[in-house]
Amino acid sequence: MPIDRAVRSTTLAVRLGAVVLSGALLAACGGSSDGATTDAAGGDVTITVDLFGSFGYKEAGLYAEYEKLHPGVTIKQTDTEDEADYWKSLQTRLAGGGGLADVQGVEVGRIASVTQQQADKFEDLKKYGADGLKGQFAEAKWAAATGKNGEVLGLGTDVGPEAMCYRKDLFAKAGLPTDREALAKEWGDWDGYLELGKRYKAKAPAKSAWLDSVGSLYSIMIGQEQERYYDASGKLIWEENPALRAAWDHSVKAAADGLSAKLDQWSPQWNQAFSAGSFATMPCPAWMLGYIKGQAGETGKGKWDVAALPGGAGNWGGSYLAVPKAAQHKKEAYELIKWLTAPEQQARLFEKQGNFPSSTGAIEKVATATDPYFSNAPIGKIFGDAAKAAPVQVLGVHDQNIAQQITNALSEVERKGTAPEKAWENARKGVANTLG
Amino acid sequence: MTLTAPVNPPKALPVSRRESSVRRAWRKASPYAYIAPFFTLFAAFGVFPLIYTAYVSLYRVELQTPGDMEWRGLGNYTALLGDEFFWNSLRNTFTIGVLSTVPQLVIALGLAHLLNYRMRGRTFLRTAVLLPYATSVAAATLVFAQLFGRDFGLINYVLGAVGIGPVDWQNDTVASQIAVSTVVVWRWTGYNALIYLAGMQSIPDELYEAAAMDGASRWRQFFHVTLPGLRPTIVFTVIVSTIGATQLFGEPLLLEGSISGGISHQYQTLGLYMYEQGWGFFHLGRAAAIAWVMFLLIVVVVGVNALIARRRSRKEAGR
Amino acid sequence: MTAPSTTEVPRPPAPLATHAAVAPARRGRPSRAGRTLHAGPVAYAILIVAVLVSAFPFYWTLVAASRSNADLAQVPPTLLPGPNLIRNFEAVLEEADIGKALLNSLIVSGSITLGTVLCCTLAGFAFAKLRFRGRGALLAVTVGTMMIPPQLGVIPLFMMIAELGWVNQLQSVILPGLVSAFGVFFMRQYLVQTLPDELIEAARVDGASTARIFWSIVVPIARPGMAVLGLLTFMAAWNDFFWPIVALTSSEPTVQVALRQLGGGYVHDQSVIMAGTLLGTLPVLLVFGLLGRQIVGGIMQGAVKG
Repeated sequence: MPIDRAVRSTTLAVRLGAVVLSGALLAACGGSSDGATTDAAGGDVTITVDLFGSFGYKEAGLYAEYEKLHPGVTIKQTDTEDEADYWKSLQTRLAGGGGLADVQGVEVGRIASVTQQQADKFEDLKKYGADGLKGQFAEAKWAAATGKNGEVLGLGTDVGPEAMCYRKDLFAKAGLPTDREALAKEWGDWDGYLELGKRYKAKAPAKSAWLDSVGSLYSIMIGQEQERYYDASGKLIWEENPALRAAWDHSVKAAADGLSAKLDQWSPQWNQAFSAGSFATMPCPAWMLGYIKGQAGETGKGKWDVAALPGGAGNWGGSYLAVPKAAQHKKEAYELIKWLTAPEQQARLFEKQGNFPSSTGAIEKVATATDPYFSNAPIGKIFGDAAKAAPVQVLGVHDQNIAQQITNALSEVERKGTAPEKAWENARKGVANTLG
Repeated sequence: MTLTAPVNPPKALPVSRRESSVRRAWRKASPYAYIAPFFTLFAAFGVFPLIYTAYVSLYRVELQTPGDMEWRGLGNYTALLGDEFFWNSLRNTFTIGVLSTVPQLVIALGLAHLLNYRMRGRTFLRTAVLLPYATSVAAATLVFAQLFGRDFGLINYVLGAVGIGPVDWQNDTVASQIAVSTVVVWRWTGYNALIYLAGMQSIPDELYEAAAMDGASRWRQFFHVTLPGLRPTIVFTVIVSTIGATQLFGEPLLLEGSISGGISHQYQTLGLYMYEQGWGFFHLGRAAAIAWVMFLLIVVVVGVNALIARRRSRKEAGR
Repeated sequence: MTAPSTTEVPRPPAPLATHAAVAPARRGRPSRAGRTLHAGPVAYAILIVAVLVSAFPFYWTLVAASRSNADLAQVPPTLLPGPNLIRNFEAVLEEADIGKALLNSLIVSGSITLGTVLCCTLAGFAFAKLRFRGRGALLAVTVGTMMIPPQLGVIPLFMMIAELGWVNQLQSVILPGLVSAFGVFFMRQYLVQTLPDELIEAARVDGASTARIFWSIVVPIARPGMAVLGLLTFMAAWNDFFWPIVALTSSEPTVQVALRQLGGGYVHDQSVIMAGTLLGTLPVLLVFGLLGRQIVGGIMQGAVKG
């Protein structure tokens, strides 16, 4: 041990202390901004809400309003953008019993896993009188969250009727029609959509592609099908499903024609690309509208528009709110989700954020809604028509995992130039590996 | 500061004798009290999990229902043998290991040599090259992920200025592995340089003087005095870096935030594959088998290194 | 048995004792002339490049953290800091709860540091200076497992904390973090070299108990070593990644868990992500700025001994 350091040992200790102290101050400063998370005395309650993607409650001011209506209640939300990450973390906490929020969001692709495998880990909302809400919701939405023994395991939030979002300004630059009615005719089916893409590519501005990724093309197309990965009896059918194969083939063709910006959805680069105008169209379920607004920001206002989807109506996503058995404030949590999923709030959420209601009453309310951000597109009508015409999908336990493997394989095709048949094979292996 | 005496004053001889025998027994036992805190924790959180990993790897255990364990025997291991993704991640671990360890240690050696010179601001320079060591894997990787962006990344911009690229640092197999390795090299080169520096400073001056007297140039001195003198240090760093490379995890995870190590698993390492099996697919038994394979791999790596080191030093002694 | 006042253990100023103990062990190196040459311009140039490469990512983090998402998607890229630093800090404190993460990290790293230093000094002392059955074997086991990455035991560890209901609670990260075979070895080596047997013998003759010897002789002499071990432990604990992301979640995060959330798309804005990275790194940079020399010394010293 060199002498010089030994001599300094006292000052070293002092400095160490200083560091720890200043760190504590720093943390305290940071910590103070989020307010108290524990319940103060006097019946005050902090309800924790843990979600993924963009539910938009905070942005639409719904939490603030609920807090005003219920003095003493504070709502604290955490949010993970990528649903796969969110689900992983939720499962870990369910297994370990710790760290669960009072309200947990569940994506429709996972709801079968909840009803079939984890009904014992979530509250049966019938206990709190949820039975009476049944009439408010679209029948399929309600049925999907019902357990084997009739438990009500979650309340439906939104559904994901599908449309096509596009950049009017970029279309104009490439000499394409910009009127949504005209476009809906041009891309009456998916072949028409890809043809138009080729025309766009010929005259497009630099560094601008027709669509964000072929993965999103696949996802929107598979949303138009009733049977996707499982049949009604719960048997895995995805490999033989001709509809799935058709969605795959179209995606592969779009990649081969160079129509895609090759930006995986939810990746940081995809996020950055919104403001750079890297793509002219993006297949969009209703909940994507809020996401586009958030990403493209004020500068994107008026540049976007929404038209009917090629090839008919479909549904992609939509969610539920559930209360875990291990939650701390179950009753309060139920009151909150009952309010959030009530028709009035669902309607308001749609008008502000674009999340399309699953409540039948709300659907009526929003029929005439338009959105100035999307060039005053009649989003109430476009998505309302899609919601009515969309097939009632067969849900399976591993829907989400399988879909993930397939979109990964499609990314491989477009980004690495993997031969489509090899990529399909990879998807097959990936699914087998996932299911174990 | 005085020692307060133990209370009982000696009244009678037998008492005192008994007391001293108690004391003697305590003196014999007391060392164990000093190691007990460490070994209790060590047993509970170090040894037990390691051994229990082997046990878990013989069962089918799902994260959602960790209580239900179903006997599989060596099933998890035989499944691994036929698992393309496992071999892929083993391969990636190896190539990324080489891509990160070799440049890291070679550059570190060079830096150490320079840092050993007499110069102004030596302390500053040593501290500065160690700076990356202070960052976490997570922070470093997030920053590098930005720098390595395909469309808007600084590195591609600079490469573009000299007519290269754009390189797809995420999807191209080789490029993505280089990107992952770069983070490792950046974080650890300074650390290894300091370790080499310490080793260089412990080489006796007489050796250099003798070499200088024989007319050896600086280069020759480096190769004939410095390198042989550093051999134990080099073996140490090779072992430590190799172990680090075998369990590489955070860098590939955060390059894109993907637990599969890219769309075609192009940079998925063993550590990441274990995580994907355990916390992505919820197959804990399978993940345990991967962990145990990693353990054996590390034992082999350390063993081989030690063997080579011993053989070389024996050869040296024989000369 | 009484303790005469003469048994009062001499407690010299720690530096002196350490000096005395260390002096013989130091390698004499009176003349560096034989090989230690002055650096030429080339050496300086290379070293300056190395420093720049080391430092640039930090600078760039600052640049990105003070910009906006749209700025970062510009070609050519911006290279100067912008005006948004405070806004981005606020955003990341609000969205990713970095404040709580910093506090948690401080609690976790602080507890691990104190606990590890204590456990390792106790055990290191026993291995260095006390005679007991099985000493050699136990030391060999400790040193032998020094190389085994704790990452390999995470699955049973996870099952354990799930069983105990500790998922998402800080003790699930603190307790396993206290195990440091390296620390025991480090303190043993340190004490073997700095603590003369005669001091202990003398105290024993005077009837001092082992506990007394530990607190009055060993700890003062070991203090510099403990400080170095503490520093290295603190940094390692602060930066620990694998186990915290398994055991904790975004609702009770350490800094690294929060950063992983940021990287996994917790927020959409790249400049906010970089602001989080900056906040999460600042405390360690602060430690490094104040105690860099000691850390450099600790690593070089550990290298020679290891």
